[in-house]
Amino acid sequence: MAYQFDWELVVSGQYGDWIVDGLITTLQISGISIGLSLVLGTMACIMRLSKLKPLEWIAWTYIEFFRNTPLLVQIFFWYFGSYTVLPDSVNAWLNTVNQEFACGVIALTFYTGAFIAEDLRSGIFAIPKTQLEASRACGLSFMQAMGYVILPQAFRIIIPPLISQFLNLIKNSSLVMTIGVADLTYMARQIEAHAFHGLEAFTVATLIYLSISLVVSFSIQQYNMRVLRAAR
Amino acid sequence: MKRLATALTAILVLAFLVSPAFAGKIEDIKKRGTLIAGVKDSQPPFGYVDEKTNQIVGFEIDIMKFLADKLGVKLDVKAVTSSTRIPMLTQGEVDIVAATMTHKKDREGQIDFSITYFMTGQRLLVKKGGPIKSVKDLASKKIGSVKGSTSEQNAKKAEPTATIVSFETYPEAFLALKQGKVEAVTTDEAILVGLKFSDEKPEAWDIVGDYISPEPYGFGLVENDSKLRDFVNVSLMEMWESGEYKKVYDKWFGKDTKNYIPLTWTMELWP
Amino acid sequence: MHWDVVWNNFDYFLWGAYPKGPLGGLAMSILMALGGIFGAFWLGLLIGVCRLSKRVWLRAPAMVYIEIIRGTPLLMVIFWFYFLAPVIMGKSLPDWQSAIIALIVFTSAYIAEIVRAGVLSLPKGQMEAARGSGLSHAQTMIHIILPQALFNMIPSFVNQFVSLTKDTSLAYIIGVSELTKTATQVNSRTMKAPFEIFITVAALYFVVCFVLTELSRRLETKINRYQARGR
Repeated sequence: MAYQFDWELVVSGQYGDWIVDGLITTLQISGISIGLSLVLGTMACIMRLSKLKPLEWIAWTYIEFFRNTPLLVQIFFWYFGSYTVLPDSVNAWLNTVNQEFACGVIALTFYTGAFIAEDLRSGIFAIPKTQLEASRACGLSFMQAMGYVILPQAFRIIIPPLISQFLNLIKNSSLVMTIGVADLTYMARQIEAHAFHGLEAFTVATLIYLSISLVVSFSIQQYNMRVLRAAR
Repeated sequence: MKRLATALTAILVLAFLVSPAFAGKIEDIKKRGTLIAGVKDSQPPFGYVDEKTNQIVGFEIDIMKFLADKLGVKLDVKAVTSSTRIPMLTQGEVDIVAATMTHKKDREGQIDFSITYFMTGQRLLVKKGGPIKSVKDLASKKIGSVKGSTSEQNAKKAEPTATIVSFETYPEAFLALKQGKVEAVTTDEAILVGLKFSDEKPEAWDIVGDYISPEPYGFGLVENDSKLRDFVNVSLMEMWESGEYKKVYDKWFGKDTKNYIPLTWTMELWP
Repeated sequence: MHWDVVWNNFDYFLWGAYPKGPLGGLAMSILMALGGIFGAFWLGLLIGVCRLSKRVWLRAPAMVYIEIIRGTPLLMVIFWFYFLAPVIMGKSLPDWQSAIIALIVFTSAYIAEIVRAGVLSLPKGQMEAARGSGLSHAQTMIHIILPQALFNMIPSFVNQFVSLTKDTSLAYIIGVSELTKTATQVNSRTMKAPFEIFITVAALYFVVCFVLTELSRRLETKINRYQARGR
């Protein structure tokens, strides 16, 4: 069982291009999903904390359901399951666009959004209640108090858990290969199947994921430190 | 730290050097009392999970049964996919791969093949009455296929502007076709027939186009075990000559089945 | 709607082909998660303690291990063990075993971080006091520090178990017949009820994970109250 290593093969030529294409797709799908999940998570959190029962319930159901089911099942649900309940016109339109990518973004956004909502909620709880009351007393509405006073502080508190959610999202994006999105993992898999050099392809892909994780956490830490220093 | 690194390197090097002692597979199988075959579990009629018994059944499983009976051992099937079947064989997790695998020259470097036990070719499964009549109609459209299969590469070669969307299994690709997510599913005709007839309304689907490539199926065997390969090849020929092959074939592809494909080729028979 | 498809295959979702065939479905998922958390707890404990050690040759490898695993997608870890470990080790593993090993290796890095956080959250005086009364470092760890740290961290362990239960779904990729795999098998065979099937399967995972999440929340409140009383 002698295994012939061929690193050239994986990092250059056709397979090298595949890896680069896959990396670009991974970065795109992660970037878009990070932005959207931040928005969705914030919205869900505000709804959860609003005193309107129906909104609270919707947010609670969303958060609990999406946190407690596997992302992979959610991906299949969005891609295959949604078809039978969506109107035909929507399906027809979806079929003209890059649906695999879109479903990947939706799945990653909804999954991560639920986690962000909970992180943000604990961030808000860490802020003294009197702040909200004081802001309301000054004549700000609930939304204004949230937007100008509470959320900016809460976000600063939850930067570390937020980073790890983003990193989780990047790692989780590897699951979209199951519905045919040609991301980094998909490409590593294709190289394994076509060239039988899986060991090299998987090593390169793993190293790329690792460097993304390290670069993201390092740069955000740097930024965080600078912000904290400036705030002092 | 340095010593640790040296130790780790030494362990790795050792692990690469030490490989299992090689014994003939047939002896292994007989000693074990079971023939472990890697088969598909979601590809009717070749190999799929039977709805009533929840067991894997199919054309390829029946041929494997014949081989196991001839060896006087039990048959144990293991589900493989197009991308796991070769690694599983080379790693010794299965003794033989009977999983709709095309005998390709490229694959000879990794594994050995039996003689052809099923002959088919790659075509397109499309919606009946739709605009797709051949692979050329798929320019800049999406084609569904499966990761690690030959069909994917062939389709890309035949129509470079098409986008190939690769799934884990063929039924997933077919479901994507049914939902309009891809315009066609491409693979070997025999699999397409199976897919087509797995639908509630088979008449809604059509298999079109010339053969994109011929696809002779062979059983996958580990490299350089000529005893096992001889046994499989001779057994296949015996099956063909005794009419047993035709019986099994008719059971899964005959006129009375929903996967009717006429038997138009002849097995290579050594005098 | 085709809820009959779900109904007819519900037993298959729950325990696969058992008892006529191999165990699968939800039962397999839970078994894998249990095996995974058991292995990951001990491995994670070991690595977490190494990570806390003052000796560089223990601390550095533990740190590298934790960082590498936590920076890698679980899917990659699963592929590593499935396709590549046999190339390195020279022998093969059954698919479910290689999936469990991948889950253990993956989860242990997170457990190690939980252990570390638990130990670091204890007052420093404890270690000093115990050492002062004549216990060795190891004795203090085993008898004084770890029991408290692990007790405080019970909710985090339960949460990790919830993640692990969800993570078992990835074993589908390498063909382990757990809940997600049985769902895709039935979906492939029937092809008319993807919505119903995936909702049902999601609900099955949800029941297990939600009960555990609630448990972890209750435990957390209880432990907090217990600690407040102690002070």
